[in-house]
This record gives sequence, C-alpha cells and structure tokens, in this order.
Amino acid sequence: MKDLEGWKKVLTDQDRAKKYREYITGWEKKIGSLLEWKLPEPGKYRDDGSPLSAVPFAVKDNIAVEGFKLTCGSKILEYVKAPYTATGVKNLQDSGAWVMGKTNLDEFGMGSSTDNSALQKTNNPYDTSRVAGGSSGGSAAAVAAGIVPFALGTDTGGSVRQPAGFCGIYGLKPTYGVVSRYGLTAYASSLEVCGVCARTVDTTRSVFHAMRGLDEMDQTTIDFETVSSGVKTVGVLKVEDGSLSAEVAASYETSIARLKKLGYEVREISIPAMDYVVPAYYTIATAEASANLARFNGMRYGLSPIFAESPEDLMRYSRNMGFGEEVKTRILLGTFVLRSGFQDQYYVRAQKIRTLIRQELDEIFAECDVIMLPLFPTAPFHHGQSELTSFQQKQADVYTCLANMTGSPGLAVPSSLEKGLPVGVQFMAPPCGEERLFSVAEELEKVFPAPRPAGYSEEWRS
Amino acid sequence: MGDVLVNDKYETFVGLEIHIHLLTESKMFCGCKANYGDEPNTNVCPVCLGYPGVLPTVNERAMEMGYVVARALNCRLSRKTYFERKNYFYPDMPKNYQISQFQEPVGVEGYMDFEFGDEIKRIRIHDVHLEEDAGKMIHAGDMSLQDFNRAGYPLLEIVTEPDLKSGEETEAFLRAFRRTVRYLGVCDGNMDEGSMKCDANISINLPGAGLGTKVELKNMNSPRFVRRGLQYEAQRQASVLDEGGKLIQETRLWNENRDITESMRTKEMANDYRYFPEPDMPPFCPDDAFMAAVEEAQVELPLTRKHKLMRKYSLSSEQAEFIHDEKGNADYFERVLALGAEAQSVYTWLSSDVQKELNLLNMTLTRSPLSAERFAELLRLMEEGQISGKIAKQVLIDVFEENEDPSRIVEKKGLSQISDPAAIARIIDKVLGENEQVVQAVREGEQKQKGFLVGQIMKETGGRAAPALVQKILSEKLS
Repeated sequence: MKDLEGWKKVLTDQDRAKKYREYITGWEKKIGSLLEWKLPEPGKYRDDGSPLSAVPFAVKDNIAVEGFKLTCGSKILEYVKAPYTATGVKNLQDSGAWVMGKTNLDEFGMGSSTDNSALQKTNNPYDTSRVAGGSSGGSAAAVAAGIVPFALGTDTGGSVRQPAGFCGIYGLKPTYGVVSRYGLTAYASSLEVCGVCARTVDTTRSVFHAMRGLDEMDQTTIDFETVSSGVKTVGVLKVEDGSLSAEVAASYETSIARLKKLGYEVREISIPAMDYVVPAYYTIATAEASANLARFNGMRYGLSPIFAESPEDLMRYSRNMGFGEEVKTRILLGTFVLRSGFQDQYYVRAQKIRTLIRQELDEIFAECDVIMLPLFPTAPFHHGQSELTSFQQKQADVYTCLANMTGSPGLAVPSSLEKGLPVGVQFMAPPCGEERLFSVAEELEKVFPAPRPAGYSEEWRS
Repeated sequence: MGDVLVNDKYETFVGLEIHIHLLTESKMFCGCKANYGDEPNTNVCPVCLGYPGVLPTVNERAMEMGYVVARALNCRLSRKTYFERKNYFYPDMPKNYQISQFQEPVGVEGYMDFEFGDEIKRIRIHDVHLEEDAGKMIHAGDMSLQDFNRAGYPLLEIVTEPDLKSGEETEAFLRAFRRTVRYLGVCDGNMDEGSMKCDANISINLPGAGLGTKVELKNMNSPRFVRRGLQYEAQRQASVLDEGGKLIQETRLWNENRDITESMRTKEMANDYRYFPEPDMPPFCPDDAFMAAVEEAQVELPLTRKHKLMRKYSLSSEQAEFIHDEKGNADYFERVLALGAEAQSVYTWLSSDVQKELNLLNMTLTRSPLSAERFAELLRLMEEGQISGKIAKQVLIDVFEENEDPSRIVEKKGLSQISDPAAIARIIDKVLGENEQVVQAVREGEQKQKGFLVGQIMKETGGRAAPALVQKILSEKLS
C-alpha cells in the first residue's frame, strides 16, 4: 500500500495540489497522455483512511465517466459527454478514488500505438519519438510518467498489456466477465474487458479487487471464484521462429533465468493453435466491431453535417467524416466476414478456432499454474509505420490476443530496459487465476521493479 | 380491384410475419416504461438511445410472454434460447442493429387451428421469436424529428408457413390470431394503433407446381387491408403470368388510398442482415419453475372455447361466435350461467339490450356496472315473476345509470310485481267502477273492449300487476 499512500495528499493538501498541477503540465507537454484532466478544489476532498480513498486515477477515454467527455479518440465523438458512469469506475469512486482525467487511445481501441487517435499524439515517456503502445497508450504513459498511480484501460487484444510493456509498468487484463463492461464503449464485446495499468503489483491488485463484481447492468458478468493462488510450475512458451527482436529475445531469456533462480519449476510449452490465433481474432473482433460501431451515425449525438438531404445521407456523411482509416478498415473487414454465405468460411470457423485454442490452454493449465509468453515482438517502435506497418502491428498481437480469445487473465510485467527502452513479459493464468499472476509478478518485482523514465519524480508529493 | 375473384387457374400461397407489442411494464432491454404514446423522448435512457458503452439486459416478463405464446401455438419450446444481432442501418434504430432471434428462437414448428367458413384449418407456425422495436420518425416540412419512446419496446414476431390460400382466409386467420393473443393477455391486438402488425408474403403458381416467386407485402394496417392487399396482389400476379410475363422477387407496399400495391424494393436492394449471436447477453435457459409458469399462464383458447359453448350450452355457431369473441365476455357468460341463469335468455339479453346499453355508454361488458352477479339477479327477478320483462328492461338501464343492484332498484322504486289476488281484485273493482259503460258493452259481447280495461288496470298499477292474474280475475268479474 506504500505506493498509494504517497498519493493521498495530492488532492487534499493545497501546496501539494499546486505541485501536482505543475508536474502534470510538465509531463503532458512531452507525452500528451491526457485528453482532459481536472483536479478537485483544494480542501474539498477528504481521505477516509481506506486504501483507495483520495487517490487520483485516470481513465481511458472509451470508458464513460459522468462529468467528462467520452471521445474514444474519435472525431465522431469529439464533443460527446458521458451521460453516466461505467460500473468499474463507479466501484472505484465508491472506494474513494478520484477520476482526475481521461487518457488518449487509438480510435475506439483499434491499434497498438495510440497513433490512431484522431485527437492527440501520445509519446513514450522513455523516448518521445517512440510510441507508448496501444490502444491504452495514454493510460500506460500517464502511469509510467508518475502522473497517476494507476489508470484504467481496456483490453480487447492486448490493449492494456502491450502499452504497459512499452512503458515499463504492470498491465492487467482480468478474466472476461469479472469486471463489468457497462460503460466500456464496445469494440469487440466478447473479447474485451476493463483493465488496470499501475506502477506496482500491489496497486494493481487493490484496484482489481475494488473494480470487480457482478453487475446487473452487464449480464455477462460472472461471480469471481478465485482458483488457488499458489504457483510452482511456470509453463514457458518456446519461441524459436525468429519473430522476436534481439532486444525482446534477450529480455525474454532474462525472465526465464529469473524464474529459475526464484525456484519455479519451468516447463517448456507450445501452443500449436497459435498459428491461427491472429486471423481468428481479427475475424471475431472486426465482425463484432462492424455492429458495435454502427450506432455512431450522427443522429442522436456526435459529429454530423449541418444539413443533409435525408436521414440516410446524414448517416453516411457523419460516418465518413467521423471515422479514421483504421476504424473504417476494420468495419469493412467485419462486414465482409459476416456476409451471408460466407459465415462458415470466416466467422463460424474463427469461433471453432477459438474453441480449439481454449482446449489447448486447458490442457496446459492442467500441468502448469501459470504460463509465461512474450508480450510483443519488438521494443517500443517509432511513430508512423516505418518500422512496423499496420498489418505487421496486427500480426504482432499474436501473444496478447490469446488471453482475449480464451477469456483468461493476463498480466504484463516489466522485465528489463533494453537500450534504455522498457521491455515487458506476459503471464497468463486460467480463468479467475489473477492471484497467481500477482504472486509471480510480486516475486519478480523484488528482483526488477518498474523502471523510471528520466523526469519521473515522487519528491513533489512526499 | 376489391373483391374480384382470383383467376382460379393458379394456386395462391400466403405466409405471414405478425409482430405483436407485448403488454409489459418496461422495455425489452432496459428499465424504461413501455409507453410509447407519452410525450416524445420521455421514456428513454442511455441504453435504449444506444449511447456508447451501454449493454442490454433482458426483460424476463417479455421472455415469459414469448414462451406463453409459443406454447399456445403448439411450438417446440427452446431450452436454450439466445438473441442475435440483425444488422441494418435505419435512422430510427438507435444501434443500427436490432436485437432479435434467428438460430434459436423461443419456439419453432408449431401450428394454429382456426375456423374458415365451416372448415377448421391448420396453419403451421415456422417460429416465434422476441425482438425490440425501433423509434419513430416524424417528417415535418423540411425537418425530420425523432421519437425514441418506442425504441426498445418488446416485440414478438410470429412467422407462419405459406399455408394460407387466399386473402379471405388470411383475414379470418388474422382475426382468430388476434383473439388468441388477447385471450392470453399478452397483447391488445390493436392493428390500427400499431400494437399488432402484419406483413405477408404471397406467391402464386399452377396447381401442383409448388411455391411461386415470392412477393413481400407491407403496410396493411387492418385485417381488412390484409385481405384486400392479398386479393389485389394475387390478381396482379395472375395477370402478369397470363400475359406471359415473369414475376420478380420484391417487396411491395399496399396503398390504401389507391387500393393497389406498389413496388418498394427488389431483391437486389434487399439487406444482408449479417446475423450473429448477441455477445452482450448469455443464452436464456428456462428452468422448471419458468416452464411451470408458462404452463400456468395457458388458457382455454378461443376455438376450443367456442366449441365448448356450443356443446355445453346448446348455442348455435353464430351465438357462440358472439359470446367467445372476447375471453372476458365468455367468462362472464359462463359465470352468469353458473349463478343459475338460462343460456338462451342470457345470450338474448347480452346480444340485444345489454349490447345496446354498452354501445351507448361506450363500455366493455366486463368493466360495466352490470356485474355477472347483478345480471343473474335481474334475470332471476324476472324468472320468479317479481318483475315483468318490460320492467326488467327499465331496471337494466337503471343498473347502468345508478350502478346499483337490480333488487335494490326494484325495492327503491317500488317496481315489484303485484301478485296478490286480493290487491288486484281491489284495483279491478275500482277500474270497473269508473268504466261502467265499457263493462256493460263487454258483458253484451264486445270482447274487444276488454283490452281497454286491461290497459286501464295496468296503467293504474304502473305496469306492475301480474298480467296472468289480471286476465284471470277480470274474466271472473265480467262473467
């Protein structure tokens, strides 16, 4: 709880609040992680002594928080205000935590760089010429820079874990259904979940505990029945296809060595169905997206032309003007795979692959308490598509989207700095096995805690 | 075009898609009131307006009503039903997909029997599925306004097989269907107010050649328009074929002002709905308690009821048709009989004097002051000779106007029949005394004048004297 204790005075103490403002402003000039932020009037906020009370946090701007906008990083929702608050956020607010701002993201969560935001550019706190990852890049960057102790993100195919890795922090994708999706702007409903970016394992755990719970507004929520938290055996995915960059491969070896040194039984594993995971994942994700994003048509809210000949034209113009290229591409892909006569070839087959992957992982989890696998094939890359094209970025989701396909929890853990850039590694557990992930991550944290970028400071709030 | 007989060279096939608004308190997937006639956009929330991040939650009452109808239509009920997204863009539809059912609806493969002329026909039901309604767009000058009160309203769609053979038969089926959902209490069946809608598909072909090219027909806002639209369409299709033309698969609209159907879109322009399972709601697996409640909600259906009325109370088909039209009326009828009344007499009163009064006051029988108990009492008073038929008609009107028991009205107004011979004899003596000339004439054989004396006696008693006794005593006194 030490990590959070240090934050409690930034909202309640006038002097610290002033320094907080300056600290945020200073970092934001460099990284642009927040789309909107505000601090409470000094003295207005009280600490009731509970762990999350009077702690500020940021929320990815595709999660609804009343009093803030809900842009989703898109032109089409640029001026839309959230008329209600997401259940996960509400649960944290009920624990006393304070939403200080909304973070940047790839438009509607579609991307791995946050470069797909139509509203703002977000940079990696370790090197501003590089991306913070995505789609929860703003949340990860804000936490890495020490602007907030934690931030909420959403994870559809790795969108919390990959940017957490790129920014050298922890990133949790909870078990599907454990945290309510009510208030999460849907991209791919059957895959995504609200997640946590945080500086420490302890904070990640506290936030996860406060957020989760059955929600009558989300009928896909499940009762959390934790599986035993003890971890002895770690399955380590063997990666020898040369897909990892030299830095990531080196970092991966470091993690394996650490696990062995910590006394875990390391077992090499392979997941044959992984060859099909990316195409299957994109088939399902885009199919669901094509329906989920259909509601944005300029009729009831959001961007629309001032005049149109007919309601149909109004919808067409709004969507054409409002959506970015990546979003349009995915909507078209999703529409394509759902066409009548082609569902067996694409959507239904993708669901079969999903079942197959689940079976393979079930078998692995019968032998291993958790598994370790890479997060992303490269270290944080430069802005634009010069290093990784849009297509390569999608292929690179292979390690993270696995957990979304199975519903399992996944945790990004900082593993090393390579040439000054953070690299992370990923752990997965069977559904409701979050405590196992925290257990391993806490052991590793003792050996290698989250690194700090230049300019990071805690002195202003101590 | 109207009622022109269809060219009998061809066989006609009609199938229906009937939508009914379920009588639930709240909408299908949110807590908003299901009341779309209210001030525009007052029964709305982020969920039914399709705001970002919202999720649907299923209305269990609507689910139950869906199963109740499917069960009544003899469907195979799903033990694991789920919703799917039907994707198409429509300005009134907040999410631009409709949450509907496709692969696993609440019920499939049922049937419904109905009377057409002297025959009992059986129409197969393809499926019964739940879905949500869209909002409403109002075009005003160069502006279009939207009202989302109706968006998310629970709808049940009943799809029949193309088993209907003509417009007339379809109209009869629709009326029987409407009666059925009203019996079940799940829908008021009001077609002109839109709580029940019906689209039809129709094709014609040479006998034995199977289904022809299907045309979908929309915009028929009453059973009568359904009949006329289908009659027109069958005739139009026959003319096309007769002239060696080819029919195209298309959707046509019934134009009730011009009495014709007009092409709306062809097959090429049809939507590809891209159905896929709704990921926001888990499948619904009814448990035993749910199924028991569905069973519990079953009622004796109209056709069975009608035949029971005919069998048990010796009503004619026409009489039973009248009594069974509304479940409430049939229940009322049987209740009055249970209280001791006689079927023919009850029917006669209901179909004439009572109906007249209801029409006058614009009331329904079950909500009128004439409860079954009061009605039975009125008939008993008449039966026992306490009041005459003529007085009874007056008392009936008074029951409606004063909302009181017939016996109380009779007592209050002193309307009971005089059946004491001594009292009648006294009155007769008085009348005879006042009309000595007439008495003389009758005694001399002018029997016609006797009627005048009876009239005077009835007048003297305000019509309350028992007519038989008057006749008897008067004859004695005059002889």
